[in-house]
Amino acid sequence: MKKVKKVFGLVTAAALFAAVVGCGSSNNSDSSNSPSASGSAPASASASAPAEKLKKITIFQSKVEIADSLEAAAKKYTEETGNEVEVWGAAGDAYMTQLQAKLTSNQGPSLFSVGAGPEADKFKSYLADMSNEPYAANIAPNMELKEDGKTVGVPYGVEGFGMVYNKKLVDQANMKDADSFIKTLQDLKGKGVNPFSLSQEAYFLIGHIINAPFAAQPDPQAFIEKLNKGEVKMADTKEFQEWAKMMEAIKATSKNPMEVKYDTQMGDFGTGKTAIVNQGNWSYGMLKDFGDMSNDVGMAPFPLGGNDKLAVGVASYWVINSKADADEQKAASAFLNWLLTSETGKNTIVNEWKFIPAMTNIEAADLDPLSKDVFEATKSGQTVPWAFIYFPQGIIVNDLAPAAQEFFLKKDMTGAQFLQKLDAAWAKAAK
Amino acid sequence: MSKKKDKAWFALFTVPLLFVFTTVVIIPFIIGIVYSFVKWDGIPANPKVFVGFNNYVQLFQDDRFLASAWNTVEFTVIALIAVNLLGLILSLFVTSKLKVSNAARTMFFMPNLIGGLILGYIWQFIFTDALSYIGDKTGLHSIFFNWLLNPQAALMAMVIVFTWQMAGYTMIIYIAGIQGIPDEMMEAAKVDGANLWHRLTKIVFPLLMPSFTICLFLTLSGAFKIFDVNLSLTKGGPNNATEMFAMNIYNEIFGYSHYGLGQAKAIVFFLVVAAITLTQVIITKKREVQM
Repeated sequence: MKKVKKVFGLVTAAALFAAVVGCGSSNNSDSSNSPSASGSAPASASASAPAEKLKKITIFQSKVEIADSLEAAAKKYTEETGNEVEVWGAAGDAYMTQLQAKLTSNQGPSLFSVGAGPEADKFKSYLADMSNEPYAANIAPNMELKEDGKTVGVPYGVEGFGMVYNKKLVDQANMKDADSFIKTLQDLKGKGVNPFSLSQEAYFLIGHIINAPFAAQPDPQAFIEKLNKGEVKMADTKEFQEWAKMMEAIKATSKNPMEVKYDTQMGDFGTGKTAIVNQGNWSYGMLKDFGDMSNDVGMAPFPLGGNDKLAVGVASYWVINSKADADEQKAASAFLNWLLTSETGKNTIVNEWKFIPAMTNIEAADLDPLSKDVFEATKSGQTVPWAFIYFPQGIIVNDLAPAAQEFFLKKDMTGAQFLQKLDAAWAKAAK
Repeated sequence: MSKKKDKAWFALFTVPLLFVFTTVVIIPFIIGIVYSFVKWDGIPANPKVFVGFNNYVQLFQDDRFLASAWNTVEFTVIALIAVNLLGLILSLFVTSKLKVSNAARTMFFMPNLIGGLILGYIWQFIFTDALSYIGDKTGLHSIFFNWLLNPQAALMAMVIVFTWQMAGYTMIIYIAGIQGIPDEMMEAAKVDGANLWHRLTKIVFPLLMPSFTICLFLTLSGAFKIFDVNLSLTKGGPNNATEMFAMNIYNEIFGYSHYGLGQAKAIVFFLVVAAITLTQVIITKKREVQM
């Protein structure tokens, strides 16, 4: 018995030792990797023979809509240059979670996407400096992603959202301020169509629509700062009170957004059952399936306080993983360069992804009606910023969406109570 | 000689297992305990600040966490009863001399072979679209409405899906127990004039106690740790009313990027699950009888 115990002890010790060695060796390889990554960076820059085959890269990005054509583009890239690219499946809502898990376990992609604001700040240590890359010079003014004065991200493209409306059912002239907006909703309800549709996804439920009262502040970013510190309350702010009134009207006249998903929302809009959806130019891709609506759809600004500007911004940026080894970073940069400068790449961005380019060297071509509205607003400067990118990270999904769910599910909840809920949610999230 | 050989065999089978167990359970667990004392956002480059027991203090002030704890308890109690009751009834049904019993057994067990995520999505369709469709057609809106939008009904929806998934599994365990009861004993009881109820309560249930121990343990820990069905069916909604323990931890870590606090919650979660399941096993073990 004693002997058995001894053997057991030995075995345990062996197992533990093996485990420690296992961990230790992986640590070693890590630490040997990173200095070489930083050390060999200048060396690799000098040795850039054009025919040289670059290291295989991996791409992970958040936009589900472009997932398929990105893979197709990657194939074309491989055909044209011989370099290999692997595109990881898009993850939709779970993108941030998966990205973080992959990055922290040192299995991060070479090229990935982040949003601006706190999201980019969070991943700051992973963003490679691309200030000196050729394509960085082509980014439209103020559209680059910057950290500490260095350009670290290239914009996907410009996007805008507002009220996408069916011209056969509504006239934009009838929605110029809050009162006329509310009246239009009631008229539409009287005609038997669903006047206004949000959908249950966090951003489509609250994230985009709550941008309006923030953007209406003289300095949205400063207002958000104050809100974080608890110096102001939404419930005491004029624009929010008006917004809450409009939300009440939406709740009273329209189908409960909790029962609507993005695809049913667009389906009902495409078939004329819904008059207005709070959506962006990205949604046109779904509308195409319901026949040619190009003459019937338009995008109108959310008329809070007589607002006549669309909300336009950059949702995502391409960034290079600075923790990948130098060769991989170089290969990722080469792919990005191909995407942003070659004919095939530009064609993919403009014609397949239907992005409104935010690069000076890419011409916008053949825009769909919604993108055209956004593009024209951008050119004429008739835009309001995306304030929600400066919100505390994750607040829309984690805190504001549950509050909005409560508002839409409780029949007797008023707009004022809703604002109080939002204030409470904000106070908790900003901690 | 043979003793030496024994030891070699012993080592051969235990060392790999011990190694795997140490590397994938013990070591991460210890690292997890360490993380629960720091404030960290999960990015390796960002600092980990040691905060002592602050995370543990904080989690007991977290209303959402306490609410999720209550949800979990509520869910577990109802699910425990539903799963075991249904499992037992099904097992009694398929062990009775019916022609369809083999087919029935397969069909009852089938849901358990489908992953929780897929189950959740299937039932999401049933609860949202199918139920409201029936409601529109029949006018019975008090029963047939979108269950996932009502906090209480959404919890019941989770119980239904979990029961549907687990009842077949517990049924198999109960069947094994029932088949272990000798026929002579049942026949003798019958001859002595014991009716069905007596036979069940005086013979079958006492002899089934080992199966009860296993089934209660499985459903108790399964219901407490439920995550996949939670994620795919309700995502914790509406308004966090169905957010369970595991999902709250997941949201704390990945939603809010509070690794330390989330890890502290996970440790508390582990202690709670361990305490409850151990108590249950001890209690039911005591009631097991020998034939």
